[in-house]
Amino acid sequence: MIRVENLVKSFGRIKAVDGVSFHARDGAITGLLGHNGAGKTTSLRVLYGLLKADAGNATIDGIDVQKSALAAQARIGVMTDAHGLYPRLTAREHIEYFARLRGIDRALVRLRSDTLINQLGMEDIADRRAEGYSQGQRMKVSLARSLVHDPQNVIMDEPTNGLDVMTTRSVRTILQGLKSANKCVLLSSHVMQEVSALCDEVIVISAGKVLYQGGLEQLLVHTGEQTLENAFVSMTTGTV
Amino acid sequence: MAWLVVLMKELKDASRDRRAIVSLMILPIIGPLLIYYMFNMIIDIGERALDVDLPVVGAEHAPDLVDYLRQAGVGIVGVEVPESASADVLALETELRGRITSREHDFVLVIPADFSQHVAESETVNVELLFDSSRTASNAKVGRVQGLIDGWARETTALRLMIRGIDPALIRPVVIGRIDVATSQARAQAVLSMIPMFVIMAAFMSGVGIAVDATAGERERKSLEPLLVNPVQCSRFVIGKWVAAALFSITGLLLVMMGNLYAMSMVPLEQLGVSFLIGPKEILGMLLVTVPVAFFATSLQIFVGLFAKSFKDAQVYIGLMSFLPMLPYFYNLMNTEGRELWMSFVPMLGQNMLLTDVLSGRPPALLDMALAVVALLFWSLVFIMLATRMLKRERIIFS
Repeated sequence: MIRVENLVKSFGRIKAVDGVSFHARDGAITGLLGHNGAGKTTSLRVLYGLLKADAGNATIDGIDVQKSALAAQARIGVMTDAHGLYPRLTAREHIEYFARLRGIDRALVRLRSDTLINQLGMEDIADRRAEGYSQGQRMKVSLARSLVHDPQNVIMDEPTNGLDVMTTRSVRTILQGLKSANKCVLLSSHVMQEVSALCDEVIVISAGKVLYQGGLEQLLVHTGEQTLENAFVSMTTGTV
Repeated sequence: MAWLVVLMKELKDASRDRRAIVSLMILPIIGPLLIYYMFNMIIDIGERALDVDLPVVGAEHAPDLVDYLRQAGVGIVGVEVPESASADVLALETELRGRITSREHDFVLVIPADFSQHVAESETVNVELLFDSSRTASNAKVGRVQGLIDGWARETTALRLMIRGIDPALIRPVVIGRIDVATSQARAQAVLSMIPMFVIMAAFMSGVGIAVDATAGERERKSLEPLLVNPVQCSRFVIGKWVAAALFSITGLLLVMMGNLYAMSMVPLEQLGVSFLIGPKEILGMLLVTVPVAFFATSLQIFVGLFAKSFKDAQVYIGLMSFLPMLPYFYNLMNTEGRELWMSFVPMLGQNMLLTDVLSGRPPALLDMALAVVALLFWSLVFIMLATRMLKRERIIFS
């Protein structure tokens, strides 16, 4: 369960997030929808404890991120928007590094990374060094290392950005799997198809404010549009 | 034990990094070669002074003196001068000056035509040795020739006195037995004093690859954000990276130390009159002094590396920093005031003085040693704490 209340964060004179409140429940996939620069990434960074909010609070399973960042971080798996890898380590070593950092013992690490490598179809790169990986391969490693500790809450910043069809599919399968395991999944995206295909709930965010949170159907009803894309456009341009 | 996980990852990563390996290996290879080469050069210079070829004008006028010089191992080279010059003393001098200036000869001995006549009549005779004292390379040879001529003069004096029934000892109450080894010895000492400098340089250079990769590299690759999302205290990341770099640094300084000792064991030091014994005690002393340097150097590099957004940035910052460890070395060279307590607290200055102590066979005072170690570890912790703070900054994580 992820909850954000009245979050405010400024960079200099620019208010990136201005009183944002939303939540993501267990057993559901929640989509954070917004233009570039709407405040998606900033909200998520506060949530996973790397940005200090100016006001408001964020909790993971009831744990205040600002007060006890480590305890909150222990309950989330995060795929950040930066997918930096170590060029001299293999995919498996990346996954194992993060697992070991979280204190998982070696035998379990091995088991979990094998499962993830299999699920994401990474057998070909599992023992190859990351130098020269394609964007899709990098994202897979990034995803795998954020899930290796089997977190209750999963936060993903643009998880399918730049992936090919096959990989996008395997990511979707994994996300559906998380949902049916009663995990809480919060992902940001600006790809409407992605959100309408995956998400149970959407949060529409624009210029640092939340415009809508609720089910997809209600959003269409609310805006009187046929597609999510039109609903999003009419909402963010303020015609509703 | 998250720091241990970070440490192991950084070591594995660095062991596959050509840049890190090169910065580890470069000094252990170059240092000993340089030491070995320089020592051999000094020995060469010393040996070359012994066999002198002496250009002589008018060698035929002084067969006794020439024989004496030859017996002492001096090669006599006759110098031909044109008729016009040989007649006039001034013209001859001008001619020979020209030859020395044009580097045809480094020095010339001029024996006058009436040499034997003056000697036979027990008079004083002038010979002239023309040389250029600014040519350091030939000074040893000139000195040797001068000494031999003096020797011949003393023998002749003794003969003249004995003929007249006087004991030569009467006019020589003191004889100085001069054995001049000063030049080679001083040079050898200078080379020896470079060894601690190499070891300290190794401490600074060997870990720099890994320190930069683990900081500026992490920022450049944009891998810092995903890393810091893990529920691990920032200090653990910094400590893991620091210790990894320090281990590389220690490896480097050990290699340099062993390499230099090996190089010196290959040089016939006794030929230089240098007694240089490095036993287990001296090695232990050097280690006690230099291992904290490894921790200090890498803590500074980790801290500075975090400021840099990229490898290029880091290269500039660390390049600017690289002369810092040299400052105490030069201060030490100039310092005539002797040692004061505050010096032990200045990073690297205390180390430099201690190493000089160890290498010149003086056991360093325990207090100095302890102070220098504590001071360095104190500064290391300061840098590590600053680095930890930096790692929490939004500007560092996200840019």
